Amino acid sequence: MSEGLTRREAMGHAARGLAAIGLGVTAFHLIRKADGQIVWQLDHGRCVNSRLGAVGVNTCNLCTSECVVAQSAVRAVNDFSKCGRCYICPAYYNVTSAVDESGLPSEKLCPRDAITRTMIGDADPEDPANNFYEYVIDETKCDGCGKCVMGCKEPAGLGSIRLAVRHDLCVDCNRCAIAMACPDDAFTQASVEEAFERLETKGGT
Amino acid sequence: MKYRLIRTISGRGQEPGQFTEMLRGIAVDTDGRVFAVGDTAVRVFQADGSLLRTWSTSSPGYCIAVARNGHVYVGLAGQIEIYEGNGTLIGAWRDEQHLGLVTAIGFADTSVLAADANARCIRRLDPSGKLLNTIGDDNRRSGFLIPNGVIDFAVDRKGVIHTANPGCHRVERFAIDGTRLGHFGRFDGQDPSGFPGCCNPTNVAVDDRGRIFVTEKAGPRAKVYDSDGTLLSVVADSQFELACKNMDLAVDSQGQVYVVDTVKLQILVFAPQAEPVAAGNTAAPSEGDESR
Ligand code: SF4
Ligand code: SF4
Ligand code: SF4
Repeated sequence: MSEGLTRREAMGHAARGLAAIGLGVTAFHLIRKADGQIVWQLDHGRCVNSRLGAVGVNTCNLCTSECVVAQSAVRAVNDFSKCGRCYICPAYYNVTSAVDESGLPSEKLCPRDAITRTMIGDADPEDPANNFYEYVIDETKCDGCGKCVMGCKEPAGLGSIRLAVRHDLCVDCNRCAIAMACPDDAFTQASVEEAFERLETKGGT
Repeated sequence: MKYRLIRTISGRGQEPGQFTEMLRGIAVDTDGRVFAVGDTAVRVFQADGSLLRTWSTSSPGYCIAVARNGHVYVGLAGQIEIYEGNGTLIGAWRDEQHLGLVTAIGFADTSVLAADANARCIRRLDPSGKLLNTIGDDNRRSGFLIPNGVIDFAVDRKGVIHTANPGCHRVERFAIDGTRLGHFGRFDGQDPSGFPGCCNPTNVAVDDRGRIFVTEKAGPRAKVYDSDGTLLSVVADSQFELACKNMDLAVDSQGQVYVVDTVKLQILVFAPQAEPVAAGNTAAPSEGDESR
């Protein structure tokens, strides 16, 4: 921490950096919690939807069905620093659906239509396949079902999308209903400071 | 045409002929010897899969190729190392700028071609390693779209370069001066003649007849197309671990296809099988029959 900076100022500085990779909302809501407060966090290295090597398995949607908060306090987040900005994103499209007249998959993957796809940069209008695309998750629509997370996981994608506890939505249950149900022990408790550090170093809570 | 698995070579483990962490590249020479690079080692196998020799590379190897004179080229981060067939190091071309991450090497005319995955293009070098020109960077995205992190290509007998452009779901063809000669391929997650997922095919090989072999990830699959891009056969799919990606492949002079399982760190060898003669179609072909 820089000399003369309070803990909160330092965290705020770091949160602005995390915003650039799509994790800013999580970071800012963590800062607003009291010092030393214990929060629940989701370890995406354990969650079956994002854990490397868990391929060909069903998507787990217990974060949606078990949370006491309507629509769940868990939402999907896209870490833009890892996203490949693919022409055909396997988290956005159902890549096994039939091809439509424009040569793209005819179905989207998200059941709540929470992801938008926008062409970025210097477009190649004659060759749309030769462009980069940005995928943004609308958290107000997302319910943390995990489908896009599983779709983006390596080797299908680059694993840039993961589930995260939204600390503005989480009511900090003493006994988190998701933690009780999670088959992978992916829900753990940590102090605000530990959760923030984890966000900075591993990109997830 | 159908293929069947006839042999496996190497695997994950501590034995001299095995790899512990990575098996990234393979090549087959004209005598059917199999050259594999992974971890920080080259391992050479006889055609029957027995280990012939092994030597160390200076850092992790990403690809391997055997030149007509028997010299072995290994691509690494920032350089290419050149060895005699017995493993003696005879040269190294260091160039962080133009050989940032060398994930494929090939030969055309007197040139050495090297894919630089960092710059998303192919470098053409002269026999001393001097840069002659760059291939594939003359589009609006300044190179190949490789979310999978590697560029793979193969050179056919006429010197045409066939390159996987996985983000565009196609195989693109180039002359060695960089001229684009065309492409084939399209996205399709249902029809096996298309390329599925976000980014396929990932790897390419070409045989003496100009047929183009590719591998795909998620789900892992090897396929063969004729030279105009018509699917001839799915070589293999269910034999690979589901988490495989960037599975390098090679074809030998007998049409046997060698594919890396990047999870098991094993080379799977597939041989073409003669088509069974259909019942009721056993009569000797008459004069003018197309099959003759
Ligand atoms: S319950 Fe556990 S395994 Fe299931 S989605 Fe939530 S964190 Fe992942
Ligand atoms: S987690 Fe489910 S609801 Fe949220 S963006 Fe992904 S697919 Fe849509
Ligand atoms: S602590 Fe309560 S509100 Fe927060 S994620 Fe768990 S069940 Fe949902």
